[in-house]
Amino acid sequence: MKSMLLAACVMLAATAPAPTSDELARLSFKNDLLKKRLDLANSKEFYLVLDPAEQSLELMYRAALLQAYRVEGLEVGVPQVMYKSRAEASDWEGKVWKKGALDPVRALDRVEVVAPPPTKEGTELPVQVPQTPEEKYPVPARYHIRFEGGLSIEVRPPGTDEKGGFWSRLMTRWSTWWADAKAAGSGGKSDTVRLHVVMSKKDAESLYRALPPNTALLVVPPSP
Amino acid sequence: MMEGYPLSEDESSPRRGRRVAIIFPAPKRRRGIWVVGVLLAAIAVAMIVGRGTGYAYSSAPVRAALPPFDEPANGAAAKKLQQKLLAQNKQLSAALAKLSPSGTYLVVDQTQNRLFVMNDDQVVRTSVCSAGSGMILKDSGNKKKWVFDTPRGVFKVRNRISNPIWKKPDWAFVEEGKTIPKNPEERFESGTLGKYALYLEDGYMIHGTLYTRLLGRSVTHGCIRLGPDDLQAVWDAAPIGTPVYIF
Repeated sequence: MKSMLLAACVMLAATAPAPTSDELARLSFKNDLLKKRLDLANSKEFYLVLDPAEQSLELMYRAALLQAYRVEGLEVGVPQVMYKSRAEASDWEGKVWKKGALDPVRALDRVEVVAPPPTKEGTELPVQVPQTPEEKYPVPARYHIRFEGGLSIEVRPPGTDEKGGFWSRLMTRWSTWWADAKAAGSGGKSDTVRLHVVMSKKDAESLYRALPPNTALLVVPPSP
Repeated sequence: MMEGYPLSEDESSPRRGRRVAIIFPAPKRRRGIWVVGVLLAAIAVAMIVGRGTGYAYSSAPVRAALPPFDEPANGAAAKKLQQKLLAQNKQLSAALAKLSPSGTYLVVDQTQNRLFVMNDDQVVRTSVCSAGSGMILKDSGNKKKWVFDTPRGVFKVRNRISNPIWKKPDWAFVEEGKTIPKNPEERFESGTLGKYALYLEDGYMIHGTLYTRLLGRSVTHGCIRLGPDDLQAVWDAAPIGTPVYIF
C-alpha cells in the first residue's frame, strides 16, 4: 500500500507541469531575502528591518524582535541640483546597509568620579539623582540615520512642519531646505538615497533614544 | 530748481550779496524701478533654483519587477531547479527559526530604562527598570578604573536566587571611600538586591532595589534593577535558560 502511494506521488510529480521562469524567479527572490535575513541574524550587529508593505520598522538582534515601530508613511528621495538628479533611486531595496549612525548624535555624557581616599568608616556620598532619559536625550523634530554606502533614513513625526506660527514655520522650512540643499549639492557619497519615514512622535522619539550604535538595515523589497 | 542763500550776513563784506546755489537732484524713478525689478528677478531665480535643489521625493514602490533569471533549458531542468530552490528555502527558514527565540524572552532597553517580557514576539509586560549609569569611577590613587555600563547583546538567565546575598565587589567599597576588606565575609550584604536575583553573565544580574524612586533613571553599576512587583513578574516568567536581549 505504501509503495503504491509512493509510486502515485512520483507519477504525479512527473506529470506536474514544469514551473515557469517567473515562478522560479519568485522562489529565488524569496531565498535571497531569507539568506540576507539569516546573515544579519548570524552577525553580532543590531539591525533594522524596514518593511514598507507591512508598514513596520523592527529593531532586531539575532533574529529576535526587540522593538517594533509603525511606519505611517514612506517616501524615497534622490538628491537633485537645479532639477538635475545627482543619483538614481535604485538598488536600495533588498540590500543590507551597514553602520547606521544617528545624526544628530545621541552623545553619552559620561561622568567621571574620583573616589575619596579610603578610611575605615568611609565617606558619606551625596546622592545625586540623574536626569531621566527624556531629559538627557532631547529628540530633534527630525533626525537622520545614515548608513555606510549612501542610504539615509529621515525620521519625523507627522505634521512636523506645520507646528508653530507663520515665522516659526517659515524658519523651519528654510532651515530644512538649506540642510537638504547642502546635502544634495555636496557631491559626497552620503545621502544618495533618502528614505523619508513618518512615524508617531512617541515612536520617533523612542527609536532615537533606543538605536544602538552601528545598526545595520535591510529594506524588504515588495514581492514581485 | 535753484534756491539762493546769502553767504554772509556781514553787510560790510566786499562779497556781500553773493549767492550760492544748492542743487537737489531730481529723484531718478527709473533707477529705483530697475533696482526693485532686479531684486525681484533674483528672488524668483533663487526660488526656482531652490525648488530644484534638494531632495525630490516619490512614493516607495509597492510592486517590484522580477529580478533577471536564467530560464532553464527544458521542463525537466526547470523542475530540478524548483526542487533545489524549495529545499534551499526550507533549509534557510529552518535556520532562521532556530536562531529566533520561541516562547518567553526578556528585552531590556537600557537607554530608556524599560524591560519587556516577550512571548513569541508579543509584549506581555512592560516594566520600568534602571540600567547602567555609564559613570567612570577612579580610585583615589588613580590606579584602577571602573566603567558602569550595562553590556549590549544576548544573555541567558544562568541562575535564579531568592533572598539573594550580595557579595560586594571592590568598587562598592572604593565608591564609599572605604578600605577594601581582606576578609571575604565582610563583603556579604543581605537585603540590597531585593527579593530575587536572576544571574546573567559576568556578574550582571536582574535584581530588586531599595531605591525604587530612582527607577527609570540610569543609576546602576551595570545590573538591571526592578521594582518589587515587576521583579516578581519577571521571576515568575523567566526560568533558567530564558534569553535576555539588552540593547
